[in-house]
Amino acid sequence: MKQTIFDISRPGVSGAGLSDPDFGELDPSQWFDAASLRTEPIGLPEVSEVELVRHYTALGHRAYGVDDGTYPLGSCTMKYNPKRHEPLANLSGFAHAHPRQPESTLSGLWELFFHLAEHFAELTGMDHFTLQPAAGAHGELTGLMLVRAWFESRGMKRDVVLIQDSAHGTNPASASMAGYRCKMIRTTPEGWTDLDALEAVLDDSVAAVMLTNPSTFGLFEKNIREIAERVHANGSLLVYDGANMNSLMGIVRPGDMGFDVLQLNTHKTFSTPHLSGGPGSGPCGVKAFLEPFLPIPVIRRDARGYFPDEDRPQSIGRMKSFYGHVSVLIRAYCYILTSGPRGLRTVSENAVLNANYVQARLSPCLPPVFGGRCMHECLLSTAELQVSAFDFAKRLIDYGVHPPTLVGAGCVYFPGHLRDAMLIEPTETETRESLDRMIEKFLRVAREALEDPDLVRTAPHTREVGKILPPGSRGPERAHEQKRPASEPPTGTAAAGAESPPAAIGR
Amino acid sequence: MESHPEPLICGYNVHREADRKAMLEALGLTSIAELFSAIPQEVRLGRELRLPAPHNEWALGRHLRQLAGRNASTRTHLSFLGGGVYEHHIPAVVDSLTSSEALLTAYTPYQPELSQGLLQILFEYQRMLSLLTGLRVVNSSLYDGATAMAEAAWMACAATGRRRVLASSRIWSEWKAVLELYMRGRGVEVAYVAADPVSGRFDLRSLKESFCRPAATFLLQTPNSLGILEEIPAAAALCRQHEALLNVSCYPMMLALLKPPGELGADIVTCEGQPLGLPLSAGGPSLGVLACTKRLREFMPGRLVGEVRDIHGKPALALIMQQREQQVSREKATSNICSNQAHQAMRAAIYLAALGERGFREVAAQCAAKARYFHEKLLAIAGVEPAATGPFFNEFALRLPCPVQVFLERMLERRVFAGWEVDGNLLVAVTEVRARAELDEAAAMFAETIGALRQ
Repeated sequence: MKQTIFDISRPGVSGAGLSDPDFGELDPSQWFDAASLRTEPIGLPEVSEVELVRHYTALGHRAYGVDDGTYPLGSCTMKYNPKRHEPLANLSGFAHAHPRQPESTLSGLWELFFHLAEHFAELTGMDHFTLQPAAGAHGELTGLMLVRAWFESRGMKRDVVLIQDSAHGTNPASASMAGYRCKMIRTTPEGWTDLDALEAVLDDSVAAVMLTNPSTFGLFEKNIREIAERVHANGSLLVYDGANMNSLMGIVRPGDMGFDVLQLNTHKTFSTPHLSGGPGSGPCGVKAFLEPFLPIPVIRRDARGYFPDEDRPQSIGRMKSFYGHVSVLIRAYCYILTSGPRGLRTVSENAVLNANYVQARLSPCLPPVFGGRCMHECLLSTAELQVSAFDFAKRLIDYGVHPPTLVGAGCVYFPGHLRDAMLIEPTETETRESLDRMIEKFLRVAREALEDPDLVRTAPHTREVGKILPPGSRGPERAHEQKRPASEPPTGTAAAGAESPPAAIGR
Repeated sequence: MESHPEPLICGYNVHREADRKAMLEALGLTSIAELFSAIPQEVRLGRELRLPAPHNEWALGRHLRQLAGRNASTRTHLSFLGGGVYEHHIPAVVDSLTSSEALLTAYTPYQPELSQGLLQILFEYQRMLSLLTGLRVVNSSLYDGATAMAEAAWMACAATGRRRVLASSRIWSEWKAVLELYMRGRGVEVAYVAADPVSGRFDLRSLKESFCRPAATFLLQTPNSLGILEEIPAAAALCRQHEALLNVSCYPMMLALLKPPGELGADIVTCEGQPLGLPLSAGGPSLGVLACTKRLREFMPGRLVGEVRDIHGKPALALIMQQREQQVSREKATSNICSNQAHQAMRAAIYLAALGERGFREVAAQCAAKARYFHEKLLAIAGVEPAATGPFFNEFALRLPCPVQVFLERMLERRVFAGWEVDGNLLVAVTEVRARAELDEAAAMFAETIGALRQ
């Protein structure tokens, strides 16, 4: 680690002129009793503005984004984020609006939300949307809470959610948070959902089946109608993880496949920036029968205009405070308006074209795990390489390519027999030339793996730090506990006992 | 000039038709349709999407400016709104530094070798918030103050094995709704602790009674929904006695002047981080801060940045303790959170560094000083009384001699957001951005309006 902002702190320096001469020198001890006042300095850094700017500018350069180059991180849809959205997302009428303003003073926001929800509904074949969820996983949780509320409203108790063994890790985690037990459904050797395995576990305890389609293997579930029929015949609901929606716009809609509830990830499909990990946004869409349960407020339109409706007795409540990630949703809205219906369809066509192009050109050394064509991402096997997928990926860094998704690096989880797989999602915003350059680099690393495997195994060689092994195989992890002794009650005084960790929960 | 076969407006697509043809040829295909042959005909859309026609950049800008122009904001009206979200000044340097292209367009630093700078900003954030809250471990962000409180409640349940949480009845009403929904999912009972009608603080006797059955934690918000600063040590003592964890949710600005809750016995501290350099943005995206003691870290949700070593033994930063997270532990994870508020955490770090030790204390002191100045002026209006006697920070509740909603409507006509109604009281927030002249003018308007409504 380079110098931190704390290391360059010089006591007494202040970044900006902040005093208000009308109020002069202020003495907090006249307002608060002595016992509640801080007695020691906080310890925040003290730097001049130019030092601040140089420090964080340097740190900003030591990161890698889509603007730096190809970022084929499978299932994360790292597409280009149009610059024209940024100033529009930060217009004063949105950025400086307080969420507790009288609702009559935010009619522009309600109008935007209303139409964005309509656009999402048209794109997905759903009837209604809430824009409140903060991220994809939060949208999944919202959907499962709606499922739960629907069963409860019918006096039914079902406590199992079925999930693909290759699902995003957020799926089972969301199901747990919504109070469900998870059961995994196997995939067949061809990568499809195993219908017999599904049938075997589909009983009256199953509230919902959660699927990603195309799956995290990059394959379209061709039996989706049959799956939907069986799930519905069992009285269960079908839940769609919309993380891979980038391949389907204008071509096929989850609502038409038979899904009852879904979430979208605006930072994937709708090009809102990934922002170093967030904020994203996870709008949740439902078929009409689930609408009464949507979180409050729901944005509606009547003769008076657009307004947030909180008078909804069957609503599940609130998933977060206020309305949703406004500045993120504005960017998604802008993306839809700039693209238009044909443009969005072309996005999905090109995303699938690019993935197939990469798959075909890499197949001599990185064959597709399941063969055949893929959707917007391809799952390739590294079994024939002389080095591990992890080593291979790290060498790509030396060539200025962000590694693809592997187990433990990305939000995807592969079942045991696919531990060597590599998920590549080039996205539609890479030109053929850019893909060719990336492919050349993959092929070159594959050659190096044959000729000089040690060079690959010890990569990266060109970065400020060397290879960092994955969790579990590296040494002790430190300093999540902060070095500077922040005050904390002495051990032994705290609740559940002294130094030993509290009893873990039995689940 | 030769006419071009393709329309000029094509969204953000990079391929010419000829590029697509050549790439299809390389695949041995002749049409795009063949790429989608796995999709059964009966589920296909078979028509064009019914969406608006493509907008060029200036038409898009005009449309968005029109929508934005239909909103009032804290820039068009004089605002005393708070309730968890506050109008603070954001130094221009914060916007400038967080607009770094790499920080905008990177994702979660799954590849630490490429992401040391990004990881370092998050690491510095964790350290700054550790100093503010007085607890050792801070994660790299949750969605907002409400979900942070709900996640913290579950942390306490997981750590103690109990399925009942106590919460102050003076938590923001929206946050209660979030807490109840999250706990319903986890099968956890929420019981509310009453507030003392005179002081406005939580009622110690009610808390004692609530511990008649074991509880995992007591969730206390300070300042509470009447703006009153709560007594953390009293809550901590009672929690210790009942082997429950104390969960404190606080306004981060107060941490500049007041003792950190961690020092006063809180085991987990959460904050709505919006006041730390984030625009109001009509309520989101904001920032959920979560800090805890070292022994609770295995139950903590979200990303954690820590020091590791590379294969040469050189110190480096990386995401650590990922066994808590969904991408490793799936249904046994501490939370489902994946995308978080990393960029907002970076804003908070840069905001705090831009203000620095003295600047942050100065801003907080101005909030408290100006709130007192305004409070005094408003109490001079006939019939206006404080709603509670406990100490406040920069937000206070008043009893008005007229209906609050009618008063707010009248003030809105004068382009003032005069506050927020909580239980029939008017909750007024004042921050450093209010000038004395504005406060004087606003106090006169309050007096006139209240006077007119009393008659």
